[in-house]
Amino acid sequence: MMTAKWLASASAPALALALTLSTPARADVSIEDILKDATTTNDVVTSGLGTQGQRYSPLKTIDKDNVSQLAPAWAMSLGGEKMRGQQAQPLVKDGVMYVTGSYSRLWAIDVKTGHEIWQYDHRLPEGILPCCDVVNRGAALINDKVIFGTLDAKLVALDRKTGKVVWTKEIDDFKGGYSYTAAPLIVPSKAHGPLVVTGVSGGEFGIVGRVEARKADNGDLVWSRPTIEGHVGTLDGKPSTMTGKKGESWPGDLWKTGGGATWLGGTYDPETNLIFVGAGNPAPWNSHMRPGDNKWSCSRIAIDPETGEIKWGYQTTPNDGWDFDGVNEVVSFDLNGTKAVATADRNGFFYVLGREDGKFISGTPFVEKITWAKEIGKDGRPVYNPDNRPGNPKDSKDGKKGESVFAVPSFLGGKNQQPMAYSPDTKLFYVPANEWGMDIHNEPVTYKKGAAYLGAGFTIKPIFEDHIGALKAVDPATGKIVWTYKNRAPLWGGVLTTGSNLVFFGTPEGDLKALDATDGKELWSFNTGSGIVAPPITWEQDGEQFVSVLSGWGGAVPLWGGEVAKTVANLNQGGMLWTFKLPKKLAAAQ
Amino acid sequence: MRLLASTFLLLLVSGAAYAAPPSDPLGSPMWADMVERVLEGGEVVFDDKVKVVVPSIVENQAQVPVTADARALPGVTKLVVFADLNPIQHVLTLTPGKSAPYIGFRMKVEQGTPVRAAAQTADGVWHVGSVYLDAAGGGCSAPAMARNEESWSTTVGQTQGRIWRDISGLARARFRIRHPMDTGLARDNTPAFYIESVKVTSSAGAPLATLQMFEPVSEDPTVTLMLPLAPSDGAIDIEGRDINGGLFRSQITAPWRQSNVVVPRG
Repeated sequence: MMTAKWLASASAPALALALTLSTPARADVSIEDILKDATTTNDVVTSGLGTQGQRYSPLKTIDKDNVSQLAPAWAMSLGGEKMRGQQAQPLVKDGVMYVTGSYSRLWAIDVKTGHEIWQYDHRLPEGILPCCDVVNRGAALINDKVIFGTLDAKLVALDRKTGKVVWTKEIDDFKGGYSYTAAPLIVPSKAHGPLVVTGVSGGEFGIVGRVEARKADNGDLVWSRPTIEGHVGTLDGKPSTMTGKKGESWPGDLWKTGGGATWLGGTYDPETNLIFVGAGNPAPWNSHMRPGDNKWSCSRIAIDPETGEIKWGYQTTPNDGWDFDGVNEVVSFDLNGTKAVATADRNGFFYVLGREDGKFISGTPFVEKITWAKEIGKDGRPVYNPDNRPGNPKDSKDGKKGESVFAVPSFLGGKNQQPMAYSPDTKLFYVPANEWGMDIHNEPVTYKKGAAYLGAGFTIKPIFEDHIGALKAVDPATGKIVWTYKNRAPLWGGVLTTGSNLVFFGTPEGDLKALDATDGKELWSFNTGSGIVAPPITWEQDGEQFVSVLSGWGGAVPLWGGEVAKTVANLNQGGMLWTFKLPKKLAAAQ
Repeated sequence: MRLLASTFLLLLVSGAAYAAPPSDPLGSPMWADMVERVLEGGEVVFDDKVKVVVPSIVENQAQVPVTADARALPGVTKLVVFADLNPIQHVLTLTPGKSAPYIGFRMKVEQGTPVRAAAQTADGVWHVGSVYLDAAGGGCSAPAMARNEESWSTTVGQTQGRIWRDISGLARARFRIRHPMDTGLARDNTPAFYIESVKVTSSAGAPLATLQMFEPVSEDPTVTLMLPLAPSDGAIDIEGRDINGGLFRSQITAPWRQSNVVVPRG
């Protein structure tokens, strides 16, 4: 150990010299670069390959005919013995890749060689409380900075050139259950310039969700918007407006610790100038303690970036009793001339809403089986199966354990954090879904700061013999499933689609795959050595098209997976950043 | 091979830019490299006016008291302390301003090593004082004591200190800032995490001294400085910043403002 370090430090000046000679000039990432990211193919400066979150690249160099020749260009280890789930989407700008890893780490990498330029390791305190592995889902680029959230609920802005901290802000107290794992969202504002928009993680600890916007230059808070009714937001350091009306859809004081964590970040639509954020489950899980809709838990809300005011809200699971977090990404798209958004909920339904007003357009199942609701009614509300709500503990003999039910989907959802993709060419959404259910029962619970606030017990079970994971091609105009690609282990990694009608995604078994976007046929697969739980990206450098993905098994499945754990029992942890391209001869022949 | 190649490159670069440094009386294999990297050029002379004081026996490799004293040398603009054979060699740099080119602190040592203080004068010349510190190994790769304490994140940055009037007319200030000062070399994979800068100003706002620190400074850095604090100044303000961007501000009041002297009654 010591000798290796010694050699490294002894040769450092020479390496530094070489780097300064070869590293390309790094221009600032302007807000314009961010807003047009979906159409620029030589960089990836946003999470989602564009603020609308379509994860679509117009690149066509890698296509159906040559994708079978795709081969590794380089791979880089994330090092240490800190190999836990790697869920980040990399970013690329001016020949440098920025990627985050487990335990709040961030790297800058030379994309030509795969060699590290600098690394930032956040020193975490001992008592962090992440619910679902020590993951991070990526960074944000703006101006000369790269910004990411940490497991001790801090937001850290680093100088892109040096990796040194420019500013750091505490989102909230990690001892109260707060953390931050989503990629920050950058949005424009007239009054304050580019804003860094973040939420909060910690939905299992009775926190109250909120969305916050800070100035990119110094991290100063501009506005804050709580997701739960009765809480008051702030704007420019002063109280602004209340979210909804206090107690309107909540009984008693439960709104005070009402949940609604905004742990998956958001998307931004420049056409309507709206931020779309999902709010998680209400707390506690035991729904009998909180009769009412419990707004805006399990909801999508549209926020004005200037003021933090809610422009519209749509609740997918009112009075949630199954932990159907409403955090999943809201993707803007054009529905035959209508400005629409789509979102695939944990509850198993695929929703299409009006982008400007949140008006319900359609809600259709994207998984094979849904037991908790019969359908989504014309009014956009679920038609519940009352028998499939876990029983009230108060109705049991000793009052300690309510009747258990088998509900589908499971609390890990028809779809979880893994982002879907939309192709404007095929007009299909590619949804990384999972087919599973759960035994769930309710228990009485009281709130204690920093302790899990659930009031429920649960076990996840597969519902098919041969697969849990199922990548679905969903037609948003009809709700029809055009094709399904089945995978034995649950999908947890996110999807990318390209202008050559390819769909890229990874599996927990470790395979990065390319499918034909029109029929789901597998065209290419590469074993990365550990499970993939992160979304791939693609970009162009010096005339060549590259595909990158993080490999590193972990996340919520092995921690909460119940019987499902069997399908992932033989998967090993890792921490490797893989980059692929076509051999030069083949690429040139195109 | 790679090490040889890069050393060769370094020699080429340094040969082109600087005159060869005087040979090291301690015979350190790292001396030429230290001149190149830590002293970044400028003429180098060994000078008895720059003193380094270390204990004759090292009892704790993670907390070795060191005093670097260049007060005998006029016009010092910078005082750098480094240890050739440490895995991380540069320990700290004091920019004294109007304060004395003097610092007392504690450091970690990984093995026996030369410990040097280099004082730069206005003409750019480095005046180097050296001493060989005999020590058993392991001070840099042992985890910080804070590792097993959940409370470090709540006490980090807490500062205690005291100021005495020195016979020289300066004020001797000694303070301790709570911080794990992780080297990043410990076997438990804790990343490097240390205070990178400390600014000392008078309560009236006059800058007194600035310090740049690195991983080898001991956990809970304990620093002694000689400051030009006027009797009319009530306190010093200390601002520390660590590499995670953490800022720690504190104030140490001067005791002469709240005299406890009891006049004996006749």
